[in-house]
Amino acid sequence: MILLELAMWFALLSLIAFGGMPAVMPEMQRLVVDVNGWATPAEFIQLFAVGQAAPGPNVLIVSLIGWKVAGLAGALVALFAVCGPTAVLAWWVSGLWERFKDAPWRHAIGRAIAPLVVGLILASGFVLASPAGPDWRTWLIAGAAAAAFLATRVNPLWILAAGGAAGTFML
Amino acid sequence: MQENPPVSPPRNLFELFTGFLSIGARSFGGVMPWAHRVMVEERRWLTPADFTETIGLCQFLPGPNIGNSSIVLGKRWFGVRGALAAFLGLMVLPFIWVMALGVLYADYSFNPTVRAFVTGIGVTGAGLFIGTAVKLGRELVRKPVALALVAVCFAAVGVGRISMYFVLPVMFAVSLFAARRNWL
Repeated sequence: MILLELAMWFALLSLIAFGGMPAVMPEMQRLVVDVNGWATPAEFIQLFAVGQAAPGPNVLIVSLIGWKVAGLAGALVALFAVCGPTAVLAWWVSGLWERFKDAPWRHAIGRAIAPLVVGLILASGFVLASPAGPDWRTWLIAGAAAAAFLATRVNPLWILAAGGAAGTFML
Repeated sequence: MQENPPVSPPRNLFELFTGFLSIGARSFGGVMPWAHRVMVEERRWLTPADFTETIGLCQFLPGPNIGNSSIVLGKRWFGVRGALAAFLGLMVLPFIWVMALGVLYADYSFNPTVRAFVTGIGVTGAGLFIGTAVKLGRELVRKPVALALVAVCFAAVGVGRISMYFVLPVMFAVSLFAARRNWL
């Protein structure tokens, strides 16, 4: 049952998504492309791109994957699978979080997670910047985008548009 | 200093829903800045400190950060119904948008120019992730152990393509040990 498979894989993925969706893109690509064959590497980067170009939480890439696999039902199942388990977790933990505001272990966990999240988001950027293996052209576009993002305060949407234009000339 | 009206939570479910609807509808290029604008500046549901605290919690939890914060805030104000109203308000318009864009793209994906444009957007999105990581990583620059952890995580997952289901527990154990020794 394909909907069940979608739900299972995305629910499992969400539970390791410390640092949000950006941190788990390599794992998502593995499960979508390598494990289940739901998309080719090139299709995966394009679904990711469509998700980035739309407004809203970047978690919506899972709906595009779900839609590709099983239509509208797939899109909805994937979205709720990726949001549901952690929503329940958030519901439970938000009470505890207040109560242990000053507990040393809370701060220790926070400090422990921070460098891992940075490393994982960096890894996501690197993996997504090489959609068809190492390629100086895609790396150049990604590098320029990172620089523009860090050096200016323009809405990232304009950076995405510029990157798309660069893609039509270079790719 | 301009006198600001006091902060007060949404009065009913409808207000909560439309607030999150307006966050979702406008959040081109990233949700967080719009969440801040709507909840802290426009509707004044939260103080800036409250907002930061809530986001902090949701960054600490796995899963989509902004989705989780809609649950946490909705729960705080109206319980289960609030959590659902906030979550659905946040997601419904972006969901329709992304589906429409996906369908539109599927119709034109045979065209090499369109494909190159969309791939360009994709790798640019990858670049934005790299920029985000650098921004977050600035706080760690003076901590050599933290930088080493960043490097190992990157190498294992990004270059080695080792599964996160293996990397994350191992690295978390190491990182927690380092944090408890005050190395981080």
